[in-house]
Amino acid sequence: MSGRILLVTGAGGVGKTTIAAAAGVTSARRGTATLVVTVDPARRLADALGVGSLGNVPTQVAGEPQLWAAMLDVTASWEAIVARHADPEIGDRLVNNPFFRAIADRFPAAQAYAAGEQMAEFVENGAWDVVIVDTPPSIGGIDFLLAPAQVRDLIGGTLLRWLTGARLPARRALYRVAARPALRLADMVLGGPLLEEIADFLLDLRTLYDGVAQRAKSVDRHLRSARTVVVTNAYPTPLREARRFFEELPEGSVVPNAVVFNRELPHEWETITAVPGNGGDLDPPTWTALRDNLLRWATEARRNADARADFAARYRATLASAPWLPQPPTDLDALAGLVAAAPGLEEALFG
Amino acid sequence: MFSRRLLLVSGKGGVGKSAVATSLALAAARRGSRVLLMGMVDALGLAIHLGVDDLGPEPRQTSPGVHASVLDRANALDEYLRLQVHLPRAMPTKQVTRALNVLVETAPGVREIVSMGKPIFEAQRRAWDMVVVDAPPLGQLISYLRAPATIERLVPTGAVQRQAAAMRRFLGNPERSGLVLVTLPEELPITETVSALTELAKEPLIDLAKVVANRVLGGLDVPAHVVAGLPDGPLRHAAELHQTLTTQQRFWLEAIGEATLLPQLFGLMTPGEVAARLTDLWDDA
Repeated sequence: MSGRILLVTGAGGVGKTTIAAAAGVTSARRGTATLVVTVDPARRLADALGVGSLGNVPTQVAGEPQLWAAMLDVTASWEAIVARHADPEIGDRLVNNPFFRAIADRFPAAQAYAAGEQMAEFVENGAWDVVIVDTPPSIGGIDFLLAPAQVRDLIGGTLLRWLTGARLPARRALYRVAARPALRLADMVLGGPLLEEIADFLLDLRTLYDGVAQRAKSVDRHLRSARTVVVTNAYPTPLREARRFFEELPEGSVVPNAVVFNRELPHEWETITAVPGNGGDLDPPTWTALRDNLLRWATEARRNADARADFAARYRATLASAPWLPQPPTDLDALAGLVAAAPGLEEALFG
Repeated sequence: MFSRRLLLVSGKGGVGKSAVATSLALAAARRGSRVLLMGMVDALGLAIHLGVDDLGPEPRQTSPGVHASVLDRANALDEYLRLQVHLPRAMPTKQVTRALNVLVETAPGVREIVSMGKPIFEAQRRAWDMVVVDAPPLGQLISYLRAPATIERLVPTGAVQRQAAAMRRFLGNPERSGLVLVTLPEELPITETVSALTELAKEPLIDLAKVVANRVLGGLDVPAHVVAGLPDGPLRHAAELHQTLTTQQRFWLEAIGEATLLPQLFGLMTPGEVAARLTDLWDDA
């Protein structure tokens, strides 16, 4: 495969995690040392991968010599960023600051960036030939790709500039003279010393800038070199998220390599508009029920096909379908089978 | 449910939250209510179900009895301070206004209360009998609902604190406000719904008006051995798919207890069609 990273992304609830896990097993069985970095998988999928109680540390998957798995804990990662980039005293102060939690929870970009740093570490570790990243549901969209630049801005002082005026005081002492009176005034209106505390917090946060700016560059580089696969289904919300990858990424970004339509019905159902015959031995109500059932699912298959065709007409992307598995895969063979049974899926995932 | 002034509709992303919110607004209007349908996160979800190009912060009539709008994030803080906290319109300096915007971005609960403030404000106006809100997704819902209490702790005195307390009471009053949780009969949406229900049971932030399970399959009344005896082909495969999914769905539905079931609408092409059909279902209910 061309890149060392396979990014499996898309809206929440479309089966990204399953596709990422299936890609992982397939890659490992092709003899490639593979790490799947996943987020909060469904219980049964976690059991299938044996990742029930994993932390940030990759663990080898039992029975699959080339496959490792790790969970991505975005809150822990964000704290790790502070630990890495701040000096210890400021780091302590930051992590215990009430605004820190709010920022960590609030900015999808911050979460996504933390995940990106962690991904970069795994890639640079060199132990794996392929790192497959399943993006967290809350940042399943293009936010993941835009995060490094946004976080750099956030820490570098976009907020601080708003807070203290156009010219950013280089030193704390200057801020106290320049900005504090206005913040005091605003605080009087509010009824608490909030803004002054926030200013102190942002000044602490800013000490991370040099380290983060440098790291963000390499995270960005990894993301640009990654093979990106967007997973969707034929419903409006996931489709909208998938379109954003083709419409909203800034100039010069890499467009996704493939779009996987998950939960597809057999394509041969798309042309079924009538069921010939009279059911033979079946009693009439049973025959009617079975016939109507097939016709209903056939209309659903056509709806999926139309959504796919519409997408193909609008954007230049490799499309692949993954079948609707009524029973989610519960073991490694079932995961590998998902890729094997879907024509074009392996090609879409690995190029 | 249709007697409350404020209905928040939430659920995991992709479960059909906007469709259900739209259908509830349309159904309430059919019952004679003047309804405001508000998008708190973005306009698109509601717009496609209402069949309009876009929605702005100004409520616009989209059908008889229904107005729709989207939360204006850029001016939300200003509106909140002016209309709700009743602060003087102009802050002393530009710098103060800018500083307050930073507050929205960094302080826990502030963005949430500024966002929640608007629908609650609208719900208290005489212009509407009911405000239906396409609320933030389930993952963020609790922090939005907790925001008034968070602010009360963060800001110990003053107008902001009083306003937060009033908001908390309005949300907590079951005659005025209710939460509609939308889910799908599948593992992840159900797991998330159950944990939200558990949290809300511990912390009564808002009355649960309804749990709605969307895209539920009707049973296929054919014995399994008859299906298994069919010749290999689409007829049998469709029946097997349907019956396996139905069994799975029943299993997951048991976990949430009492819920209103909305059917899987086969082959409907447009979001507008989906919303219209769901609206009819509320009439029948």
